[in-house]
Amino acid sequence: MFEVPDDLRYMESHEWTTTDDVARIGITDFAQDELGDVVFVELPDEGDELTKDEEFGVVESIKAVSDLYAPISGTVVGVNEALFDQPELVNDDPYAEGWMLEVEPANEAEFDELLTAEEYREQTE
Amino acid sequence: MTRERGSPYAPHADAEMAAMLDAIGVDDEEALFDIPEGVRFDDEFGIEPRSEQALRRELTALLAKNDDLTEFMGRGHYDHYVPSIVDSLSQRAEFITSYTQYQPEITQGFLQALFEYQSMLVELTGLPVANCSMYDAATALAEAARLADRVRQASGTRVLVPEFLRSGKRGVLDNYLAGAEMTVETYPMDDGNVDFDALTELVDDETAMVYAENPTVRGTIEERLSDIGDLAAENDALFCLGTDLVALALLEEPASVGADVVVGEAGVLGLPTAYGMGLGLFATREEYLRQVPGRLVGVSEDAADKRAYTLTLQTREQHIRRERATSNICTNQAWVALRAAIHLAWLGPSGLVDLAEDCVRDAATLAERLDALVGLQAPIHDRHHFREFVVHTDQPAAAIAEDLETEGYAVHVVGEHLLQVCITDANAHDADGLVAAFEEVL
Repeated sequence: MFEVPDDLRYMESHEWTTTDDVARIGITDFAQDELGDVVFVELPDEGDELTKDEEFGVVESIKAVSDLYAPISGTVVGVNEALFDQPELVNDDPYAEGWMLEVEPANEAEFDELLTAEEYREQTE
Repeated sequence: MTRERGSPYAPHADAEMAAMLDAIGVDDEEALFDIPEGVRFDDEFGIEPRSEQALRRELTALLAKNDDLTEFMGRGHYDHYVPSIVDSLSQRAEFITSYTQYQPEITQGFLQALFEYQSMLVELTGLPVANCSMYDAATALAEAARLADRVRQASGTRVLVPEFLRSGKRGVLDNYLAGAEMTVETYPMDDGNVDFDALTELVDDETAMVYAENPTVRGTIEERLSDIGDLAAENDALFCLGTDLVALALLEEPASVGADVVVGEAGVLGLPTAYGMGLGLFATREEYLRQVPGRLVGVSEDAADKRAYTLTLQTREQHIRRERATSNICTNQAWVALRAAIHLAWLGPSGLVDLAEDCVRDAATLAERLDALVGLQAPIHDRHHFREFVVHTDQPAAAIAEDLETEGYAVHVVGEHLLQVCITDANAHDADGLVAAFEEVL
């Protein structure tokens, strides 16, 4: 079973987000397992704008490359630069050390459009 | 069309085709394609069958129509003597394949050779990443401009190239960049080299890339490369330097003058000049590793901890990420790169320097001898030269070139009163003949 924390919201494309005033975004335990060893993460810069459902970056593993999609719209206020040197953090700890972006949400109503933990669990079972 | 016996390129007999179509539930193979009528070929090829012997006779007769001239032509294609070891090693059966070395388990030898080629480029350029080839210098230059567009933060799309640039290079660059919505502009030259003050006026934060060559297309040695590098860096533009393997043996290391990308013709070694074939060299900084076009061979370890080579970082390539591939070139010049690597290895560091020094000395000597003739001034640029130089002729240059042809020599006409002459180890022994021919026709 993959870890799916109850307090997060999810996308069908396997990104998670917190619902805080500054939301943290990453990819799920299921996604990191499917990808295999992550070798590279390409992320936007601080100050960049995200648009919900649009690509914001790329995660590359030894066997695949996947685009990352924004679960919410907003402004990037933090980037996990540790991933540039240690992309394996995404595999080791996808919900904590392996976070990717911190975003100031542009529209909090967007959180409600995302999957709940239960809905996401159903999707990945 | 019947395929009862199959074909070496589509080795399926009719019965096998029918079984496959049946398995996927379509009536005929046409159903698998959607080719518009307008682009379909519906005619005979009009190729008459001939015996091998007859074909040879016909081709020999065609080839006999070529003039038998001794060439002193350069401008991008340089005829260096290719030692026989290059043919005998590169034509070993293990290396004769048109396929890319996708499968490391059966291509370690070839992959190692390509890795060596990359390593030699790294050593010559000082830049830490080199790919294992592009088609030619022109495509390498165009790919550098696309790289500039991807890696720069600023939005500018101007590419600045020298006024003196071979039209073939300019044409490929224009073609590539038309689709990318980038614009190409020229900056003026001053006595064969970059007019640095004029370039300074032109570079701005809309400039994506500044391209310069060393040696220049006129064979002069560019003297202000560090200044050009600084100017590009100050304006957040990429500095792309065009050069070649032999010249790099003597020139200042491109990395130390601020070059972000080095492009050029690596086929100066290992390759005859015939057919205009090329081998594009491409080297760049490590930070652009994931933006490099073309193939990269990497070294790793296998399960038994032995050194192993493999094509690496293929996630940049279009067979993995079509839309976001760094380049739509999906072919390279592996076998030609192998030949260049063999030639380079055969020369060794000191042999390469000797060859490059000959290119300086022989060009200077020949220019001096031509300059001594009444009606010629050579070289017209008061610079150091490498391999080639421009000659001013009092009479129309085209007429002189034509007369030289009747004497058995070919040179480039580059202006109404300008000829360009190139000398290498391959034609140096004919220098006396060329000088005599000039004397004859002046």
